[in-house]
Amino acid sequence: MDTNEEMDLSVVVPLYNEEDSVTPLYLAIAGVLDTILGTSEMIFIDDGSRDATFSVAERLAANDPRLRVVKFRRNYGQTPAMAAGIDVARGRVVVTMDGDLQNDPRDIPNFIDKITEGYDIVVGWRFDRQDKLISRKIPSRVANWLIGKVTGVPIKDNGCSLKAFRADVIKHVPLYSEMHRFIPAMASIAAPRIAEIKVRHHARQFGQSKYGLSRVYKVLLDLLTIKTIAGFASRPLTWFAMLAAPFILLSMVMFISGIVAIMLGAESVLTMTASGLFFASLSLFLIFSGGLAELINRTGDTAVVKFPLLTAMEINPDEVRGASTNRRETPE
Amino acid sequence: MTNNTKVSAIVPASERYDNSGSLARDYLDALNETGREFELVFVLDGKHSDLADRLLELAANDRRLRIIQLAKGFGEATAVSAGIENTDGSIVLTLPAYHQIDSQEITKLLNELDTSDMAVAARWPRAAASRFEVVRRKAFHWLVNSVSGIAFSDLGCGARAFKRVVADEVPIYGDQHRFIPLLAVRRGFRVREVQVRQSEQDRLKKSYGPKIYLQRILDIFTVVFLVRFTKKPLRFFGMIGSVTFLLGAIFLVIVIIQRLFLDTPLADRPALLLSSLLVVLGLQIFALGLLGELIIFTHARDLKEYTIEKIVN
Repeated sequence: MDTNEEMDLSVVVPLYNEEDSVTPLYLAIAGVLDTILGTSEMIFIDDGSRDATFSVAERLAANDPRLRVVKFRRNYGQTPAMAAGIDVARGRVVVTMDGDLQNDPRDIPNFIDKITEGYDIVVGWRFDRQDKLISRKIPSRVANWLIGKVTGVPIKDNGCSLKAFRADVIKHVPLYSEMHRFIPAMASIAAPRIAEIKVRHHARQFGQSKYGLSRVYKVLLDLLTIKTIAGFASRPLTWFAMLAAPFILLSMVMFISGIVAIMLGAESVLTMTASGLFFASLSLFLIFSGGLAELINRTGDTAVVKFPLLTAMEINPDEVRGASTNRRETPE
Repeated sequence: MTNNTKVSAIVPASERYDNSGSLARDYLDALNETGREFELVFVLDGKHSDLADRLLELAANDRRLRIIQLAKGFGEATAVSAGIENTDGSIVLTLPAYHQIDSQEITKLLNELDTSDMAVAARWPRAAASRFEVVRRKAFHWLVNSVSGIAFSDLGCGARAFKRVVADEVPIYGDQHRFIPLLAVRRGFRVREVQVRQSEQDRLKKSYGPKIYLQRILDIFTVVFLVRFTKKPLRFFGMIGSVTFLLGAIFLVIVIIQRLFLDTPLADRPALLLSSLLVVLGLQIFALGLLGELIIFTHARDLKEYTIEKIVN
């Protein structure tokens, strides 16, 4: 098969120590792909598993050219695994899902329908979640609320891996650290059309859950990073100048009060004026940082510049578009 | 792996090198004994005309000895890169440019590659000029270990054998040559440490100048930078920056409260100076972190975080 041939759908599944799940997962996805029109592929990413995950997947791939298996040299984590899968995907639509059988591949056709309707990102919502209440569901409720508030992209279930993307969009979203949870928020610079649909969710059959409460701290830090980056990435000079503004003001106040104090007969105002100087130099430093950031944005093929163009879409008066009037809302 | 795979042995002759030509002879003999096809490449990092003359004499008799002359001294890592660039063996072997290990141990190092991607020599048993020397070495490797989480016992030893794919995937430049094993582990390669006999000349070496100590401290910074900074700059800088900023802000609030309620004059207090300096510094560090994060953010798709061993289908 030509490795660069474009196809209609790629299903990306990161796997880490899932030797028991691989075969049933493959069968379930393959069953769904058989019912879908058009060309499709499955991409399993073995994220440096220590069990037989890779050999099982490799054996399956030998009999099915639709299955591609990517083997990592070591364990890198879920985000790099997703990123790798998306990088090698050839489909115009990319569907991502977990490898632990908790997502149901039978939901995939619904996602494709939504993408065909004109959405850029479709996220799943595990409305009937089969997990422990205290350690999983409640923290996730709180996290989703917080993520929605902070990023301004209200999604009920950020943690659900079952998502579908238009390949043009997802291939340009920066994916690093633990960012796979925030793809919609990361993509928000491009203002993608996001839909959320209900998906089935099963209790874990094999193996251990790989996540616990310990990730909360990382998630919070990543959240702050995204918030900041998304805020300033597209026009950094302005952003940094705004940051510098209060310090320019502060330094002026300190200078003037120093001068006034001298006039009123104060003996020494050295520290006051010196502090004023510090803040003046800080504001200069920040403005120059903004200039440097502009330079970074202009080097190479950067996401920030290209982003808004990805979701641009020609509106045609001849075409009847049922979804176009309320496309930005989250349908049920 | 068969014994026929070609070995490219690279000797970067930078600042410290043996100019007698006996080293090259030793290496040639030792490589001969391995029975593998090989080439021995001396990379002259700088003029080094004394060494060049000796090597040319030897090379006239043995074509497997090659000499690459760099236009000026670029540093050991660059010399290694130049060697890798100009050779084609599927196994790369870097060797120190002075008598550091017993050259008979090369076979042992190469054999280790049957089961791993990289074999790093560690001199053992190792002579030490003084007890202080031993402590310094221990402290250095302990620090590297605690920063990177990877334990090596002799990063100063230049003898390493690795498969060419390691060289292709691990960037080697600047002062990073010492940490190639560490970078290789982080890229997911299997790296093994092999104990080798120290050479007699190396055992007798006594003096270590203060320059060495400075260099080792800088090395630690390099490791911190490579390991902690490159993926999540805002986490690293943001942490330092916000602590500094918070300290300054707390001081500032205290002096302002003292001014307002306790009538301590504010205008000539050194504490004001200190606190505003901390605030300024904290924000500057934070701004640097933001710039770093922006670089990662805009180029995340090019700076791949992962390494793929293979793709099926």
